[in-house]
Amino acid sequence: MILTPKILVRMIAIGLLGVLLQLSFFSRVELFHVSPDVLPALVVCLGLLGGSLTGAVSGFAIGFFVDCLLVEALGITSLVLLSIGYLAGLFRERFEIHSSLVPALLCMGLTLVAELGFAAVQLMLGINAPVSILIVRDMLLKSVYAFFLGWPTYLLIRRILRPALVEEPRVRRRPQPTVLGA
Amino acid sequence: MYRKQVRRRRAVLALLIVGSFVLLTLTYQGSRGLQSGVSTIFSPVQSVADRALKPARDLVDWFDKTFDARGENSRLKSELVTARTQAVAGQEALQENAQLRKLVELDRGPALASSPYKEVIGRVIYRSPTVWRSSVTIDVGSGDGVHVDDPVISGDGVVGRIASVEGGSSQVMLLTDHESAISGKVVPSGVQGVVKPEIGNPEDLILDFIDSTKLVHGGQTIVTAGWRAQGLASLFPPGLPVGEVTKASIEDQEAKEQVDVRPYADLRNLDLVQVLTGGSRG
Repeated sequence: MILTPKILVRMIAIGLLGVLLQLSFFSRVELFHVSPDVLPALVVCLGLLGGSLTGAVSGFAIGFFVDCLLVEALGITSLVLLSIGYLAGLFRERFEIHSSLVPALLCMGLTLVAELGFAAVQLMLGINAPVSILIVRDMLLKSVYAFFLGWPTYLLIRRILRPALVEEPRVRRRPQPTVLGA
Repeated sequence: MYRKQVRRRRAVLALLIVGSFVLLTLTYQGSRGLQSGVSTIFSPVQSVADRALKPARDLVDWFDKTFDARGENSRLKSELVTARTQAVAGQEALQENAQLRKLVELDRGPALASSPYKEVIGRVIYRSPTVWRSSVTIDVGSGDGVHVDDPVISGDGVVGRIASVEGGSSQVMLLTDHESAISGKVVPSGVQGVVKPEIGNPEDLILDFIDSTKLVHGGQTIVTAGWRAQGLASLFPPGLPVGEVTKASIEDQEAKEQVDVRPYADLRNLDLVQVLTGGSRG
């Protein structure tokens, strides 16, 4: 990704809008008693488009902003989101994205990783109450929602950041000349 | 060149991880100045976003509730029969209550009538995206007279208490947050205990540390105990409805000294809440 001041502003705007949308819309609606979480999908998409460094930095920044707005323990969300942003970026650097399903599947998988990471950090910090088995349903459904949210998010962010993306030129297939009499 | 890039990338990653741990340490040392600043700046923006997105939220809620309603239909029918019987008995009590209220000129709920609390109405503007932390942010803060530890209620019952306050917004720790614990009392039996959450299950609370020699039954109501002893007092006034006992097996009561409670307030769909200011600070 070619980072210019204009692209940086666009990325900050994406992060801000994503966080505001999550806190005032997605966190407050429920489908089958579970609220979708668009932030891991957003970070995964940024990592997939910008690479591991972009993924990690944007994950850290988005997590920091969320914790600031919610006045919760700083660093937890940053740590989890930077990890999945970095992993998404690593995937992009090591493998080719051949199918349009890959970003959505990665969003789903890495959202599950983020949920597990978040649970691990919270449990390590000490939970003074019993933990319900319903938490597993919450994690799984959030991952499924991330699959459906990841697709449009990836396409939208790719469109917004298109001028900065380094893409391999597509090899155009030339029409084969018709050989008469063959 | 490539190795240099990899090294730089790893260095930044390490720096970010260390940064996260530093932030975590700073938070647990009690430094929240930065968060207060950011929260104050963005609270008007969030308030506007909250109102703008309400129609979209309502649309999604409509779909969700339609699914739920199909399953609940048969259960509600059987509950309706019970409720009708209770309503007939309740009508008489309501009439008597109305007359008594007129007599003593009460304009507030019975739990708040004799308390020093003043109500401040707030609208929910954010909700925590994770089930591990159960909190919402409301659009009233210290400028409106809200203080840390003030009780928060909705039209249905207790919602939680104020965890932190900024100029124009406050964070409410809901009953389902793992740090929440309030003293409750079963009515009419008077059995007391501590209402605690079960993480990941917003529909279930636990009334813990109850007296196992007195039996609690399903369907009984839990209200705030509102204790006062040796100069200390509960943050909540007595008699605020908290929830209803849903499961009270004898084994649980005798072995674990606890019963399951469903909160009256719909903690997943909060919109308007009341902060009770000016009461005891514990």
